[in-house]
Amino acid sequence: MTILTRNMHGLSPRRRRERLFAAALLFPCFAFVALFAFYPIVHSLYLSLHRIILGLPGLAQPFVYLENYRQLWGDSVARHALTNTILFVAVSTTCELFLGLAMALTINRSFRGRGLIRAAVLIPWAIPTVVASQMWRFINNDHYGFLNYLLFGNDLASYQAWLADPSFAMVAIMVADIWKTSAFAALIILAGLQTIPDELYEAARLDGATAWQQFARITLPLIKPALLIALLFRTMDAFRVFDLVFVMTQGGPADATNVLQFYGYKKMFAEGLLGYGATVSVLVFLIVLGLSLVYVRFLGGEMREEKP
Amino acid sequence: MDRMPGRGPASLRRRWPVFGLIVLLALCLSLAGCGNQGKKENGNILRFYTWKPNQPEVWEEIVKIFEAEHPGVKVWREIGPHSSTSFHDLLAQKLKNRSKDLDVFLMDVVWPAEFAAAGWALALDDRFRKADRSRFFANTIQANTYGGKIYGVPLYIDAGMLYYRRDLLAKHHFKPPETWPELVRQAAVITAGERGIYGFSGQFKQYEGLVCNMMEYVMANKGCLVNPRQGKPGLAEPPAREAVLFVRDHLIGNAAPAGALAYEEPESLALFVQGKAVFHRNWPYAWEAANDPARSRVAGKTGVAPLPAFPGGKSHAALGGWQLGISPYSENKDLAWDFVRFLTSDRIQKHLALKAGLAPTRKDLYDDREILAACPQFKEMKGVFVSAAPRPVSPLYPALSNIMQRYFSRAISGAGAGIDQESRLASEEMEKILTLAP
Amino acid sequence: MTAYLRRLLFFLALALIATFSVLPFLWFIATSLKTQVEVTAIPPTLLPSFSLAFYRSALDDYHLLHYLKNSVIVAGAATVGTIAISLFAGYALARLPLRHKPLIMGSLLVVAMFPQISIAGPVWQILAALDWLNSYQGLILPYITLSLPLGVWIMTGFFRELPRELEDAARVDGCSHLQTLFRVIVPLAAPGVFTAAILVFIYAWNEFFFALLIMTQRPYQTLPVGIALFQGQYTIPWGEIAAASTIATIPLVLLVLLFQRRIVRGLSAGAIKG
Repeated sequence: MTILTRNMHGLSPRRRRERLFAAALLFPCFAFVALFAFYPIVHSLYLSLHRIILGLPGLAQPFVYLENYRQLWGDSVARHALTNTILFVAVSTTCELFLGLAMALTINRSFRGRGLIRAAVLIPWAIPTVVASQMWRFINNDHYGFLNYLLFGNDLASYQAWLADPSFAMVAIMVADIWKTSAFAALIILAGLQTIPDELYEAARLDGATAWQQFARITLPLIKPALLIALLFRTMDAFRVFDLVFVMTQGGPADATNVLQFYGYKKMFAEGLLGYGATVSVLVFLIVLGLSLVYVRFLGGEMREEKP
Repeated sequence: MDRMPGRGPASLRRRWPVFGLIVLLALCLSLAGCGNQGKKENGNILRFYTWKPNQPEVWEEIVKIFEAEHPGVKVWREIGPHSSTSFHDLLAQKLKNRSKDLDVFLMDVVWPAEFAAAGWALALDDRFRKADRSRFFANTIQANTYGGKIYGVPLYIDAGMLYYRRDLLAKHHFKPPETWPELVRQAAVITAGERGIYGFSGQFKQYEGLVCNMMEYVMANKGCLVNPRQGKPGLAEPPAREAVLFVRDHLIGNAAPAGALAYEEPESLALFVQGKAVFHRNWPYAWEAANDPARSRVAGKTGVAPLPAFPGGKSHAALGGWQLGISPYSENKDLAWDFVRFLTSDRIQKHLALKAGLAPTRKDLYDDREILAACPQFKEMKGVFVSAAPRPVSPLYPALSNIMQRYFSRAISGAGAGIDQESRLASEEMEKILTLAP
Repeated sequence: MTAYLRRLLFFLALALIATFSVLPFLWFIATSLKTQVEVTAIPPTLLPSFSLAFYRSALDDYHLLHYLKNSVIVAGAATVGTIAISLFAGYALARLPLRHKPLIMGSLLVVAMFPQISIAGPVWQILAALDWLNSYQGLILPYITLSLPLGVWIMTGFFRELPRELEDAARVDGCSHLQTLFRVIVPLAAPGVFTAAILVFIYAWNEFFFALLIMTQRPYQTLPVGIALFQGQYTIPWGEIAAASTIATIPLVLLVLLFQRRIVRGLSAGAIKG
């Protein structure tokens, strides 16, 4: 509280009351976050500085400074997981933004049956990830899968084993993720689109602007905040992808879909290496933090404005 | 600021009740949740962490029998996920936090060493006496032993089997193959004559089942995953490498579909029961599934045999099956032991065999006429059970398994740097883990 | 580009988007209406034989309605809780004088950046200590925490866009801060609330890992966990999973249909910027 209410001496009673009121409004939020988020995060940082092997309690849990981090640096499997994760984030986030933008633009217009199309677009997102993963696993099957049927009909010999091929398995996961989460981006961008007053487009049309010019000069700049929120949150979530890999491929084949959070999960929960698993989590966190700072600096000038 | 959506003072006042209701609802929900639903009941509750059985009625019956014979006791089953790895992770979560919510639990055959070393399973030496232990299959008892003490009681046994299409083999006058090259040859002949059928179906996805499958090939070629005498990894040795190469070159993409790299039990079994595979490697449960007309197109046309070996080697099936363990943090240890003894008794193992097709771990039940009448496949399978080989016993088995899964998956899919280098790297990593554990 | 061509392209885009979104799910619905043997037929059969066996099984043997109920309770309460807290926090951050606002918002984002598998362990221990494992609040509270970053960011952004004249007018009329908040701000927050509400509800509805870890007893398990437990040791009951997904999704789609009309109304009415 003091961080918010420091230097209150020179303020009028009104300002002081305002500050206290603000602090009170923020309190529930930070109470939750402190207990269920900050404490676990600090605990993870603490764990990452220890060597913990649950299966061998006799070895105790010594403090090992940055040994885990050094080991992670040289861990080739972790490096492979990192490249897999980066690939996944780059491709799926980009596709989701584009697709989400396309979806938002189309359903922003008025036409008959718009409600139905909106529902159609939101269906993938409303299906629990676990269910969607099972569904895509079913669709990708090399013998009774729908994807093969769509592509090759009854020509069984051409059927591909999508999830068995190290190159395709990641694509299958990305497709499942794009299918599932484009609606999220679409919704956020739609909210942004809705705040653009029609008058701006009217004026532009009267001035003779083409559709593309209207899009590039009016729409894009005005939905930049929405795009940024969508990009930010999608990147943060995509870097922590877990459910899809857990259900569809369990990291295989040949570690082709081993992503960082899944690798960390195996280390922590399956192998009982709590310290090392926490280190992987810290790595993911640092990467995402770095990316977010980059986004905000280069794309989100308005978001950092201080209001009086 | 022209249009304000009807926010005059009158409508403001109307909004209060709505908002108040919402807050009230939130409060109510949290308070409602606060009432623990009977968790604090005292009086004897036995908590059993298990996965969902394939025949739930059978287990309901068994629990009722136990409760009838122990008046005042209620058995509360908590159902975990069926995937062995997920079940392990959730069970470990409870045990590593010394949860009091757990008395008896199921253990996969590769966990007792890990649980024993971590202090997660109670040593049962004083309750599970040596005389009693000798009535069970020796390899299952060995799998439950760590550091000279025993930590679990085997409930039922699993081992890898070869299923085949009796009708197709008969058509070509083949007997079930005794070596893998012979299997591939027979498969080639048969599939040349039939349409749309593969030679072989097995589990080659990157998961624990892959270790089971590959171990069977490696050991059939006189190799091993970990040399039991020296405690050193055997993956880089020639017999192991040859076996893996055989799988890569003759099975995946040849006798077996390339998609087998993504198969767990359900997918591989589906291929067989749809009539699309001549040979199939799976656990004993597949017998029932393959012969059930409601689920299979090949009912009545299947046979089961021990897995083939390589020339000069012996057939080795991977030992599977589930054991019962008791939590050292349980407050009901005696009652827990009663339950464990009950479930593994002659009577109940017979019940499970007759009604649920689970293969007993008590040797003499294989001479029981009723069981043999209901499950004739057990006669053929008993020899396989007796000689089934366990996976490496180590408190750090999950770490070892992850290394092996990764290596095998990379080797048989042709990814990675080639089998010589990959096997060497995997061996080195396994060596590091093995030196940590006593 | 002629108007006709543009319309054609528009409807083509529409068709593609709708097909892409719905076709996989339509396939799954068809699967739910097949018989057991048809489900894994090779090659797949397009038309199901319209058997309701899987639906019966999903409802009776697999207790689907029970899981649905739990999901509704947990997701609903988490949504209400997150909205309430985000509303207050968002207003404070958007309007009231506070030091270090970027730091505060940034620290909230940190919560959304940290991998949930690492957060899960300590959260589990906290809940175990409070004996709140296998209880509704045991899942609702972490869900609220993990949704707060998104909720607060949305509400903050939304409140920033509101014109100050309303509050100044209320202040001039003699309202205290609290009164201004409840009488003027909250009613206007509807559009932001609905956007945030949908996002939070769907997040809580979909969430799997925490639910799996915290709810191990059937009376409390939510839909994702329930469906994950459909899977047997060696069998994946595709038919029942398909049936369960259909039953689970249709009410949600209806709910979403209802909600999104209010968003549109609220948003278009919220052309407050003039």
